Amino acid sequence: MPKAIGLITANYTTASKDDVFSGRPVASMPYLGRYRLVDFALSNMVNAGIRSVGMIMPTNYRSLVDHVGSGKDWDLDRKNGGLFIMPGTAFGTSRTGARFLIRDLVQNKEFFIKNKEKYVVLSTANFVCNVDVKALIAKHEESGASISVLTKKAKCDGNIDVVTFDVEDGRVKGMKQGAKFGETVFLDYAVVERELLLELLDAFAAIDHLDLFEALNSELGRFRVMAIDFEGYMKPIFDKDSYFTANMDLLDPDVLTELADSRPVKTKAHDNPPAKYEPGAKVSNALVASGSRIYGAVQSSVLGRSVIVEEGASVRHSILMQGVVVKAGAQIENAIIDKNNVIPAGTELRGTDGDILYVKKN
Amino acid sequence: MLLAGGQGSRLGVLTSKVAKPAVSFGGKYRIIDFVLSNCANSGISTVGVLTQYRPYLLHAYLGTGEAWNLDERDGGVAILPPYATQTGGAWYAGTADAITQNIGYLEMQDPEYILILSGDQLYRMDYEDMLATHKANNADLTVAVMPVPWEEASRFGIMNCDDEGRILEFVEKPKEPKSNLASMGIYIFTADLLIKTLKEDAEDPNSSHDFGGDIIPKLLADGKRLYTYQFKAYWRDVGTVASFHEANMELLGAEPAFDLFAQDAPIMSNSSTRPPAFIGPKGSVDDSLVDNGCTILGQVEHSVISADVYVGKNAVVKDSILFPGARVEEGAVVINAIMAERSCVAAGATFGAADEDTVTLGDDAIVEKGE
Repeated sequence: MPKAIGLITANYTTASKDDVFSGRPVASMPYLGRYRLVDFALSNMVNAGIRSVGMIMPTNYRSLVDHVGSGKDWDLDRKNGGLFIMPGTAFGTSRTGARFLIRDLVQNKEFFIKNKEKYVVLSTANFVCNVDVKALIAKHEESGASISVLTKKAKCDGNIDVVTFDVEDGRVKGMKQGAKFGETVFLDYAVVERELLLELLDAFAAIDHLDLFEALNSELGRFRVMAIDFEGYMKPIFDKDSYFTANMDLLDPDVLTELADSRPVKTKAHDNPPAKYEPGAKVSNALVASGSRIYGAVQSSVLGRSVIVEEGASVRHSILMQGVVVKAGAQIENAIIDKNNVIPAGTELRGTDGDILYVKKN
Repeated sequence: MLLAGGQGSRLGVLTSKVAKPAVSFGGKYRIIDFVLSNCANSGISTVGVLTQYRPYLLHAYLGTGEAWNLDERDGGVAILPPYATQTGGAWYAGTADAITQNIGYLEMQDPEYILILSGDQLYRMDYEDMLATHKANNADLTVAVMPVPWEEASRFGIMNCDDEGRILEFVEKPKEPKSNLASMGIYIFTADLLIKTLKEDAEDPNSSHDFGGDIIPKLLADGKRLYTYQFKAYWRDVGTVASFHEANMELLGAEPAFDLFAQDAPIMSNSSTRPPAFIGPKGSVDDSLVDNGCTILGQVEHSVISADVYVGKNAVVKDSILFPGARVEEGAVVINAIMAERSCVAAGATFGAADEDTVTLGDDAIVEKGE
């Protein structure tokens, strides 16, 4: 019997102006050849036995609904519970930063009232990580905290989109936007008792334009918000560079195994044949999704479903999203090629290590 | 009605634990996917699957039929194993007997036409076109046939027909064939006639309850309208290890005999969602199919590699078929082999040879170095 219900806020943008994210919600961003970012949040919850998940939708929800459907691929097509597609407030979509906008939660209060499980697990969609949510709930119960948040020490500077906590002896004393090296980053996973969440929503009704954790910032004396450290691989995806790195990191088999195998990451099933490597294909250090056909050379790259790399074409240190066709002799290096682009024969597309070239969705 | 109860004993260890229709094929599929996809692509939404031999994996794989869009409230996939009645129960004793024992299912569905299929053949066919031929001929029974090389005709059930395609004579494995049109074991019956004929056949103590051996000769003798439907595209009955190996290899190359990538009639499968395949920095893959979830650190050449296969550093896999979860450890060599699910060739070991018959390794079996 699941102890918790899940809530995924899939309706916010990032502060990044990179057009990688333009026109699609971060939650439905293709990732690692065959996933969408939301798969991690959904799978993490389902792997913990959660069978009621609410998803607050962005205004441009087409791609996301197309992907999650009835929730069947995550075992969320249930008679009781299952996947709840819920509206966000219009305000929520234009705002960056706030990820658990109180107004969004209040508008969907019904979801927290109707489902009677003891806890609510909150999550966003743009952290790539394989989290043992069951253990997270257990640690939350053990500590007796009001709210538990999943955190990790930042390994780099300057991510303005993530939230960081000021933590003393495991207890959160303050929070701010943006992360510097060594600070404690909020991974956007939190556990709270359902009854308490409902109380908070009532208490914060007057400041419903704030993020839940922004509102809690001045109440940290009253509520014990405890940080739980996450030891595994995680990557926040908020801009082009973090998106690129989060793909390339997976060319390390250890990282791939941890992220994709420690607990299953479920995604929408497709009827693609296996990838086909034609005579003479040269592929090394690459991730290749099913349905692809390779005649040319691919090195240090991530290929999505049904990508075609024709004869004499070469792809190096790049991400090709699903349906991309690289015509004969074309050369691609240090680039992200978005869905369904056809790169004409003989074309050269090159970015640099420091400035990855992006070709937008066709 | 899809006959999927056969053991496929000539596939040896490959069917020691699973029924032949559930045997892995083409890197991502199980053999039954091809016929189920044909049904779905032909607009057939009610399919009874008759199972008998080692059915667990097959039943689990079929599930609700959802993977082939066959999860329908009325109809859809029905799994039909042998069952007991007030007068006892019996195994399916022949292709016709299997259908006879499920006349109750046929009466419940009450179709106008009944298509009889085998769950162990590889081909793409639009059954709707075959049904149109059946209707146009005002036939009682239509048998799908395909031309086979004359020298091989004596291995098949051969149909001798007139110019209109009406069957005059059916001969099982003729010594001196008069025609090279072989039955593919795919039949469309007008439902009422099939049910009536099966009931009569069940009463006949001399019948072996087989479509080819008993039902067709009886209908011919009764002067019924039996017609052929000529099929000329790719068709394989993967009965032996050699033909199974060959059929997999026919998926490879720039212009494969059977194109898995053809867009118009996709082959659907009940596949798991796994990450993309990882080809390591020193790995190489040439002229092969590789499904998701694989880790290829060694060399793969002219092979069919299913999901979650591991090929270690400096290992070589050539002219082989690896089923889901198979492992070829570091430095091992696998040539001209079929490795069943989760089987393993240990580090430094060798399995198979280029100039010998294709070797097979059963589910979960291990080949150690020096064996």
